Amino acid sequence: MKKSRSRGPRRPVLLGFMGKLYMSPAMARSVSPTKSWIRQEIRGGRRRAAPATGLGLLGVLLAIGQIYCASRLLAAALRPGSAPVELLAIGFAIAAVLRAGLIVVQEREAARLGIAARRRLRSATLGGLMTLGPGLLRGRHSAELAAVVVDRIEALGGLHGRWIPASGIALVGPLMVAAAAAIADWRSGLILLIAGLLVPVSMAVTGIGTGMAARRQFTAMRRLQTRFLDRVRGIGTIVLAGRAEAEAEALGGTADELRRRTLRILRVAFLNATVMDLLAAAALVAIAIRFAGPLLAGHWASAPAALFSLLLVPEFFAPLRAFSAVYQDRMTAETAAEDLIELPRAEVHAAPPPAIRTVPAQGVTIVFEGVSFAWDTLRGTVLDRLSFRLPAGETMMLVGPSGSGKSTILELLLGFAHPQAGRITVNGAPIETIVPAALARMTAMIGQRPFLFAGSIEENIRLGRPEASEAELREAVRLARVADFADALPLGLATPIGDGGYGLSGGQAQRIAIARAFLKDAKLLLLDEPTAQLDPATERDVLDSLKRLAIGRTVILASHAAFAHEFTGRKLDLGAVRTAGLEGVA
Amino acid sequence: MNRARPILRIIGLWRAQRAALAAGVIVALAALAAGVALMAGAGRYIAAATLGIGLAVPAALEALGVARVALRYFERLVTHDATFRALTALRIWFFRGLARSAAGGLGYRRAGDVLARLVNDIEALDGIFLRILVPGFGALMLIPVLLFVVGREDAAAAAIVLALFALIAFLFPWRAMGAARRSAEAEAQAGGALRVAALDALSGLREVKVYGAEGRMLAAIQAQESRLFGAERMLAARAGAMQAVSFLAAQAALLAVLLIHGARPVAIVIAVFVAIAAFEAVGAMPRAGVIAGRASAAATRVLEAAEAPPRVADPASPAAMPVAHGLSFDEVTFRWSATLPPVFDGLSLQVPAGSRIAVLGPSGAGKSTLAALALKLAEPEAGEIRLGGVDIARLNAADVRTRVAWLSQATHLFADTVRNNLLLARPDASEAELWAALDAARIGDVVRALPDRLDAWVGEQGVLFSGGQGRRLALARTLLSPAPVLILDEPCSGLDIETEREFMSTLNETLAGRTVLLIAHRLTGVEKFDRIWRMQNGRVIAATR
Repeated sequence: MKKSRSRGPRRPVLLGFMGKLYMSPAMARSVSPTKSWIRQEIRGGRRRAAPATGLGLLGVLLAIGQIYCASRLLAAALRPGSAPVELLAIGFAIAAVLRAGLIVVQEREAARLGIAARRRLRSATLGGLMTLGPGLLRGRHSAELAAVVVDRIEALGGLHGRWIPASGIALVGPLMVAAAAAIADWRSGLILLIAGLLVPVSMAVTGIGTGMAARRQFTAMRRLQTRFLDRVRGIGTIVLAGRAEAEAEALGGTADELRRRTLRILRVAFLNATVMDLLAAAALVAIAIRFAGPLLAGHWASAPAALFSLLLVPEFFAPLRAFSAVYQDRMTAETAAEDLIELPRAEVHAAPPPAIRTVPAQGVTIVFEGVSFAWDTLRGTVLDRLSFRLPAGETMMLVGPSGSGKSTILELLLGFAHPQAGRITVNGAPIETIVPAALARMTAMIGQRPFLFAGSIEENIRLGRPEASEAELREAVRLARVADFADALPLGLATPIGDGGYGLSGGQAQRIAIARAFLKDAKLLLLDEPTAQLDPATERDVLDSLKRLAIGRTVILASHAAFAHEFTGRKLDLGAVRTAGLEGVA
Repeated sequence: MNRARPILRIIGLWRAQRAALAAGVIVALAALAAGVALMAGAGRYIAAATLGIGLAVPAALEALGVARVALRYFERLVTHDATFRALTALRIWFFRGLARSAAGGLGYRRAGDVLARLVNDIEALDGIFLRILVPGFGALMLIPVLLFVVGREDAAAAAIVLALFALIAFLFPWRAMGAARRSAEAEAQAGGALRVAALDALSGLREVKVYGAEGRMLAAIQAQESRLFGAERMLAARAGAMQAVSFLAAQAALLAVLLIHGARPVAIVIAVFVAIAAFEAVGAMPRAGVIAGRASAAATRVLEAAEAPPRVADPASPAAMPVAHGLSFDEVTFRWSATLPPVFDGLSLQVPAGSRIAVLGPSGAGKSTLAALALKLAEPEAGEIRLGGVDIARLNAADVRTRVAWLSQATHLFADTVRNNLLLARPDASEAELWAALDAARIGDVVRALPDRLDAWVGEQGVLFSGGQGRRLALARTLLSPAPVLILDEPCSGLDIETEREFMSTLNETLAGRTVLLIAHRLTGVEKFDRIWRMQNGRVIAATR
């Protein structure tokens, strides 16, 4: 993931600040994986959409029946008494009512398909991301990931709900209409069939070049939207720099340029629809001419067939038109899929670890034996044959400049990354043989900025152990001194926090994280610069709580030097280890 | 009328695009007229032929057929052109409005999420012209046509047909619009909640995994998703019902025409064909009503955001800009809103020109508010803020901002090149000046190592750079600004201690001659400041020299 990022295939080559247009070399890229992904989706989607497609075809059948009644009624209008008017009118009405019912069912079915597809894709994507964990998602903006999980997947609903059923109906529906025409008059059926066959041919002819260009244009439009969104997000920055007017004009210039280019392409692209109009008109004229001879010769008998065939022409093209109306859904799906398949995937382990086991959660001893690790080959090794042993209940401080591997050691212990060489054992068991859930159960972590989700203070603390008793919760709240500020709030521990909730200060948030760790009562405590974001006075308070939390636990603390002085224990200076090229414990 | 007003307001904004829009409507009406005439002609020809009195296909019919196809083509082209123009105009109007009204409020204080939703709202307005206005005019044109063609054969049938036509073209869309407007609100809320839940789970992934809460987070997301889908399903059901009723109404109208017993069979057939064309033209109107409902909800939000009054109004006749640029706060009282306690209550501070001043204190002490006030993003309730001795209330905000540059916590990196991100602060900066700023912010070497150097792309939200690097790039931009007063809000967040020390120790040379107000929660000990203030609860509680 990291590698692909630095090589930069994801780098969006957007429209430049001053309205210059850069063509993207990346545009031609990744068409095939996207295409094959979409194809696979469509294959699965067709099966699920079979009822919807069937209902649509039933609608076509009813339409044919209705047209039959209408054509006979018309004939009766022209020559009164030539047909049973009441019966035909009732037939017409029944078919109409049934078609109306079908519309309701079809609409519901389309919604159901779109919803089911999005639910399936979202749960698979989220599940995948959660399995991957933060290690492989490093460098990915979580807002960007959330946009994929929410917006891109929303954009895939139309493919399943509308495009797939419409494509099925467009394939079979016209054939059914042509067959009905052929039964009344085989020549008319043939005319419709030929017109139908000409549709894809003419589309291919006018579509050569425009397909690619239209896709590129669609991408360019989407980029304009992205650019606009970006500028709006940063509008405060633009205004403060006094560049609002210049930026507004640049936006207008780019949009105008894009409009001109788009229209140039649409001029050709709209020919597709025009060809369909022309074919429909040609089919009408051809059928009219075919019947002109016999009718003028006084063959009244062929009048109903003539009217029937003529009225079938619009019905023949209706499914094709409906299909081109949902073309946008497919385009949208393709761009959304591009972002979706670029997400890192959970590697499927060829073979499960030999013997998965659990280790006693009482006292945790950590041993690193010649551990080497690199996030990627370009950036070189972060840890080079690192060895140390940390007995249960002791504390170790990791010090060193940023980039020296402090956080990496924590990531390795959390199981979010795996060493390329060497061995990490927890209570004697190699870490990769421990069930992830068991490893999670024995570990608590507090980072620079604790993660607080939208919910109450209590819910956030209970993240550590949802089933904890009321007394245990009270105890954790007391030990972490959450009560100090929570008691002053009108709703106490039930105060909502996170998005849209009560704004906590950095120190208060950190206390909630500490309470969480107290409640969880894990024997291994990992601390990653827990007070870096705090002012000195608050740091003092939080430090006291952390010291209390550390008692009786194995603690690994990554921090700057001054803070580490507060703890007693071993110290591992990673900067020194690195420059000396040594391994071992200082 | 409430539901239509926001849309009418949006249409009112398209004054400059009037010609393009009118052209679109005219071509569309011509295409529709040609279509209806073609159907009438075809009906007449077929009826005559069936009765054995027909002629060869008349030339007029051929011409109509060609005209219809050609006009349909031009209709698509012209209406799309008009839509693009209208949407572009709308975007720029929105951007200008937001810049005027919300630089202080929305842009600086509210989450990017709200802004993203607003941008989506603008996109939702693109159907107003193409799918509401154009077919609406078409429907109006068809009324007299139907009245004439059907009415001359049978007045009662004409009454039925017109009543059903009005239902489909006007009443159903109007009802659909109201319903969609209401459910759009529910949908927007559910969508927002889903986004929050997803962002929660993903940004807290580390802790979610450490605390084994994957299942619970997933369930929380799916609960929000179900709410969204529920709202959607309801809307789909309603739209389906509306569509079905419209279809039935159209079929009933057709049957009414088919059953006319008249003396002129050819005219009846013509009426049937015209009715088919007319009802086909308005078949999509109820669905357009749903679009209109969503657009109406979106337009309300967009108008509200773009037309909000600026938080700080410019003076009617601004005073001349002062030459000096010493900054002083004199007995300033300020609160963000009437319901909140004051951030400052009689705060007085002096920031002499060229001085180096640090403001320390815990978060929430009002450090950033100081900057917001100095930049006229907010206005004091009482007291004065002076720049070079002149009360900034008497100066234009834009002029004040040429003198004071601010690296805020919310400073945005644009999805653009490094160069363009920097040039925002000073469009005429030379290459050497760009590099000097990058080096001063301790990011020059990182940029130098990139294959495209200054032309390297800062991804969406600057994701190509790590958080700390992005912060340093923003710092470089602020340092590049020609403003004589710099307010740096936590410039070193994301830097490690050593780099921070290095930056601080060279700050004096880098910014020689400029006033620097540094906001931080702690100092490293190497800084050389003229004064260090500590703020707590909106007051300066200690000043060291």
